Amino acid sequence: MLAMHDIVGRFGGVLALSGVDFELRQGEVHALVGENGAGKSTLMKILSGVQPPSEGRIVLDDRPVAFRGVHDAQAAGLAMVYQELALVPHLTVAENLFLGRLSPWVRHRDLAKRARGLLAEAELDLDPTRPVSSLPIGEQQLVEIAKALGRRSRVLILDEPTAALSSQETDRLFKILRRLREGGTSIVYISHRLEEIFAIADRVTVLRDGARVATHDVAEVDADRIVTDMVGREVARFHRDGTRRDAVRARFSYHAPGLDAGELVLHEGEIVGAAGVTGSGRSRLCRTLFGADGEATLDGAQVRSPRNALDRGVAYVPEDRKGEGLSLIASVEANLGHAILPTLARVGVMRPGAERANARTWIERLGIRPPEPAKEVGTLSGGNQQKVVVGKGLASGPRVLLMDEPTRGVDVGARGELYEVLDELAREGLSLVLASSDTDELIQICDRILVFRHGTVAVTLHAPFDREEVVAHVTGARIVA
Amino acid sequence: MSPARASWREWLARFGLVLALLALIAVLSLLSDRFMSVPNLLNVLRQIAINALIAFGMTTVILGRGIDLSVGSLLAFVGVVTATLAVQGVPAWLAIVAGLAVGTGLGAINGAFVAYAGIAPFIVTLAGLTIFRGMALAFTDGRPVTGLPPLFSGIGYGTFLGLPMPVWIMLAFLFLTHFLLRNTALGRAIYAIGGNEEAARLAGIPVRRVTAFTYAFSGFAAALAAVVLTGRLNSAQPTAGVMFELDAIAAVVVGGTSLFGGRGGVFGTLVGALIIGVINNGMNLLNVPSFYQQIVKGGVILAALLIDRALTARRT
Repeated sequence: MLAMHDIVGRFGGVLALSGVDFELRQGEVHALVGENGAGKSTLMKILSGVQPPSEGRIVLDDRPVAFRGVHDAQAAGLAMVYQELALVPHLTVAENLFLGRLSPWVRHRDLAKRARGLLAEAELDLDPTRPVSSLPIGEQQLVEIAKALGRRSRVLILDEPTAALSSQETDRLFKILRRLREGGTSIVYISHRLEEIFAIADRVTVLRDGARVATHDVAEVDADRIVTDMVGREVARFHRDGTRRDAVRARFSYHAPGLDAGELVLHEGEIVGAAGVTGSGRSRLCRTLFGADGEATLDGAQVRSPRNALDRGVAYVPEDRKGEGLSLIASVEANLGHAILPTLARVGVMRPGAERANARTWIERLGIRPPEPAKEVGTLSGGNQQKVVVGKGLASGPRVLLMDEPTRGVDVGARGELYEVLDELAREGLSLVLASSDTDELIQICDRILVFRHGTVAVTLHAPFDREEVVAHVTGARIVA
Repeated sequence: MSPARASWREWLARFGLVLALLALIAVLSLLSDRFMSVPNLLNVLRQIAINALIAFGMTTVILGRGIDLSVGSLLAFVGVVTATLAVQGVPAWLAIVAGLAVGTGLGAINGAFVAYAGIAPFIVTLAGLTIFRGMALAFTDGRPVTGLPPLFSGIGYGTFLGLPMPVWIMLAFLFLTHFLLRNTALGRAIYAIGGNEEAARLAGIPVRRVTAFTYAFSGFAAALAAVVLTGRLNSAQPTAGVMFELDAIAAVVVGGTSLFGGRGGVFGTLVGALIIGVINNGMNLLNVPSFYQQIVKGGVILAALLIDRALTARRT
């Protein structure tokens, strides 16, 4: 029904796509995978009319089409849902749902009524008069999807739609997508999470370095094959031997709004996972231990502020790297130095070369690419930006590193590299707390997993883990049974 | 993007302003034979010194994602306080030190409202704009302060090694501010806050203290400009400095510092002040009526921003 032929995308002298074919059938979910920079986003920007292709043609219903802008593509029935939300925070859910299509005189009651219908279709139980900014990020993402549904599109393009979703929210999304598929809508599904592809997609196309490597029927392919296609070589799934030693590295106690009082004892070389659905307390735990939220004590003394935490050897890698982790307009070097400014300076004056030396250390250690300290962080790929956030925390020489979703939106290759670094750090005696919504990630690298539910540790599991058991605890299936 | 291309763009983004200034100078020297003379160029430098001083302080505030609208009024108040002290028999140098301290203190109060009370910088300094003006008028009952000791005219009209004193003061403050921004932990913190305040906070940077500092620094800069202006006029006017905040912001913005913080620096601001100063001077030499001068000045500010945008536009 829709086909892209020999698409070439050349931007500012860089060849992002070198002659890619992509075909979409009516009523299928077609997954598009590839590492960061493989060309997925560029291909979909061309399809949705954001950018014109340098060469190549797009055929819709046997007729060639040329989109001169997003409006053209939308008129032809194509809608894209971006990874970065395109909602206006201060407007209500209803206003956002019909944004760009509002009549000049908005009648709020009508609007709310139509919005309720749309929300019901997206299985969202929400008050449409609430401002979007008051919703948790996962629900905002679902509103974004409902917005695309409202356009009655024939083709829906989803770019990493589950990055901010809890597993229930993901299930809800899949239910919606399956229903749309049955109704004949075609869906392009971009994701880094392979298990999602097996759960929802009919076919999968793999891109690598701006070229199409393969298109498979999902029923006839396994995860290893897709990973091999993506990275172009065989990769072993990460395996780690426990490095936990008995010496205690830190004793925390904590409590915060939405997080019940508790204690956490970290041992040398231990990686402790914090699992749980969004809002269960897993993220709050990291912020609280770091002194950014609620109240915490470390070895009996109160953690007064992030500065105090850093001074006492506790570093934090926040979940939202753009909002909280990095100054995107500053250099890699500057960002890597931000948490240790006092040690890079003598009586307030920056020591010549100290910042550069610090940057070189972490660029090399974490494999940040390109290895240029002066490079603006915003120009790096997501995976490399994430390495910079991790490096920024590690630069302070912590004994405890708290990480919230360190691999969100990070491609397979960079993810593996990050795991290796974490393993190495643990071997050197660092204690890590890893809050993650990715169960496979926790299983692969943790010594111990705390499963959070409703702000409290519901159960503690120890390696080796049984995947189903972990998932059952996280989703709460274990209680139901 | 290939490294060669990136560095070409960076080079242009960095030195494009200087090229624009040089082009402007070339055009004006063709249009007016009086433009390209040493006395006239020194005149331009002397004229921009006051705006540049204020603009350097403004740069630090804007880099930290703030704005300071109170500088013109603050300048007037510091001017009349300093002059009054000197006229009443306080040693001139001590009166100047006191004036600088008053300016810094008032700036710090602005900063405290922004950083600790969490009120929007625009509002806090807008209040400052009217309050400081009222203070200046009340302090002098609306009259100028005259009969100053000779140190002031020395500051306003003296020369050293052929350069006017205001220019020396401007250069000294330029290097001081540049050093502060580029070579100190405090400067790094200002850029970090302008780039992403929450990330700076989570990196343990004392965001409030640093933010408050930028306003105190801006107050100091405006006070320094007040001393120079008092010297130039050999008197202090409570009505001095009206709209100076806008000229300073224009110099900062034309000079390539982002109004959203985190990007830019004082050398750019100097070039921005020079561009505005050269245009003013050129238009005077060409006898452009002052009404039209204002229109041209506004147009230049818009053009500078459009060019800057085109150069730094990010490819996605």
